[in-house]
Amino acid sequence: MKLTLPPRVSPAQFDAALKAYASVVGEGWVLATDADRDAYSDVYAPGPETEWPAAAAISPNSTAEIQAIVRIANQYKTPLWPVSRGKNLGYGTAAPRMPGSIVLDLSRMMKVHELNTELGYCVIEPGVSYFDLYEHIQREKAPLWMSVPGNAWGSVLGNALDHGMGYTPYGQHARNLCGLEVVLPSGEVMRTGLGAMDNNPGWHVFPLSFGPDWTQMFTQSNMGVVTRAGLWLQPAPESSLQLTFDIPNEEDIGWVVDTITPLKTAGVIEQNVFIPSWLGKIVLKGQRKDFWDKDGAIPEWRVQELLKEHKLGYWQVQIRFYGDETLNKARAEIVKKAFKQHLDAAPMEELWRQGDPINQYDATMGVPSAVALQMGDWVGGRGGHMGFSPVVPATSKHILGQLKRSRKIIADHDVDFYASFTIGGRYATNINMLMYDRDKPEQVANIRKMFDALIKGTAEAGYGEYRTHIGWMDKVSETYNFNDGIQQRLNQTVKDALDPNGILAPGKSGIWPSAYRGAAGKAGAA
Amino acid sequence: MNRFILLILAGALSGCGIPDDGETSAGGPPPAPPYQMRAALPAGDRLAVQSDGEALFSNRCGSCHLAGGMGTNLLTKQQMMAGQPPEKGLLTNRTDLTADYVKTVVRQGKVAMPRLSRTEVTDTELKAIAAYLSKAKS
Repeated sequence: MKLTLPPRVSPAQFDAALKAYASVVGEGWVLATDADRDAYSDVYAPGPETEWPAAAAISPNSTAEIQAIVRIANQYKTPLWPVSRGKNLGYGTAAPRMPGSIVLDLSRMMKVHELNTELGYCVIEPGVSYFDLYEHIQREKAPLWMSVPGNAWGSVLGNALDHGMGYTPYGQHARNLCGLEVVLPSGEVMRTGLGAMDNNPGWHVFPLSFGPDWTQMFTQSNMGVVTRAGLWLQPAPESSLQLTFDIPNEEDIGWVVDTITPLKTAGVIEQNVFIPSWLGKIVLKGQRKDFWDKDGAIPEWRVQELLKEHKLGYWQVQIRFYGDETLNKARAEIVKKAFKQHLDAAPMEELWRQGDPINQYDATMGVPSAVALQMGDWVGGRGGHMGFSPVVPATSKHILGQLKRSRKIIADHDVDFYASFTIGGRYATNINMLMYDRDKPEQVANIRKMFDALIKGTAEAGYGEYRTHIGWMDKVSETYNFNDGIQQRLNQTVKDALDPNGILAPGKSGIWPSAYRGAAGKAGAA
Repeated sequence: MNRFILLILAGALSGCGIPDDGETSAGGPPPAPPYQMRAALPAGDRLAVQSDGEALFSNRCGSCHLAGGMGTNLLTKQQMMAGQPPEKGLLTNRTDLTADYVKTVVRQGKVAMPRLSRTEVTDTELKAIAAYLSKAKS
């Protein structure tokens, strides 16, 4: 990919900035060839990768190096786009929102500073992947479990900072963050929570501070570069029990949610309950053409055939219990009794005890896997995907409304319906996986049009997305419209106060610093 | 797709939330292997000449290319479609890889495999990995 310079930066200034960055990290860690720019593009881009081009990438290895880099960025006005490992697949990968930003790749920062088995937390750097942390825990024989997302190739901190979700009792990852170290846009280092006091041993166990705690201000934001964080981990359970229910019909999701939510809020069910639609089961079994070889959405009659052929329900619900075996069995009885009111078929039950093997694909047991990326093979060619991710209250009224609304928009665009609901307690996230062949421009154009329609239709009904692709950050941000968009106006006021030159991630989550506010809406998705 | 290959793949993914569809019962493929621990990243300067291609392959590529990994699963299907045995899905079992080919795929990506940056795999690391994967032919 050819060089796209940052706004208002001349080629000579850019070269001078790169030399300054190289003096901090070493020439080998400033990556500025055409091939390097390709490597930091959105590999699943819905359209040409050149739509969201990075100018270069820099890979620091310490907080001190990041401080120096941020100061240089202020000096040369070369905006940085920090990524932990750059694996935000489906949401932009490592690509920056504003063309010409320099990717600040933190993946060399792979230290596990602490693994505390007594109180159940770790202190890690952004480059630590789920695989790295899992193996560290195994090597230390620490009695701790992680919560992992469906695709665990990425960074533990990156996922938590971008509000990622997992499927254990620790599945709301941003809430596991406890005590951050952050480089501010000025280059100063701050620590959130009790870290604001020198040497306070409670930094990573108390989730607040004295006065306001700023931890969440640094998630999905561009207010600082997180260089290390405490993250709570689940004590390894002595046993676990899983119930699997196949739910036959689409509309059954209503009673399923109304059954699960009260059990979840009452603590009978502790994990985030993941409920994928049938296509989530088929998509890993082959390519689309193996099941339906025509363009356009798979027709309903063929869906019904496939469900029969593969003995699948429209939805599948797996509920896992963790801890004492007697308690798990008692909890399972409560859940079985509640389901029995709607479903005659008994669930499949799987008991696990410490020492038993763990399936390497089981995200509900905290094992990291990248196997979900196999869905890239589903559409054939250069497969890509985006996630449309609204959040709704976890009741049948809201879930069925969302299902009906998004189903219609997706059907109107003649696209396969592939969705999941994850019940996190009082809310459910609804991930609609939109897959496309990047080499079919008409398919990509249709997906983009549909994405716009989904955002609009969902917002009109009163709901918003909790996370989105870089190309749609402005559009989603605009749907948060209470009092003339006061949340975004507050964000931008804070942004300008902290980052007057706007050098950290301009446009992230729709937050544009005044220096680049003219770039909002001009780049990215139309 | 060939029904036999579908059956093997269904077996490889059994337990990852995919219910048993009856095709993977007695006489079917073995269950998925347990989690495969990767080798530690060799200590030292990652830009200097590297010698341990095996450890580097395990650490840098192992998230997808050890037994049961995403890359292994897709390559197993691809190899079987080409008439090869399923073991050829593991890159370490291949005898037809050249160093240049390995380098090209890592830097340019291929189908479901994204490109890897020079931070994720440095040029010197890639050289050692490519030599390791192609050693049978050199």
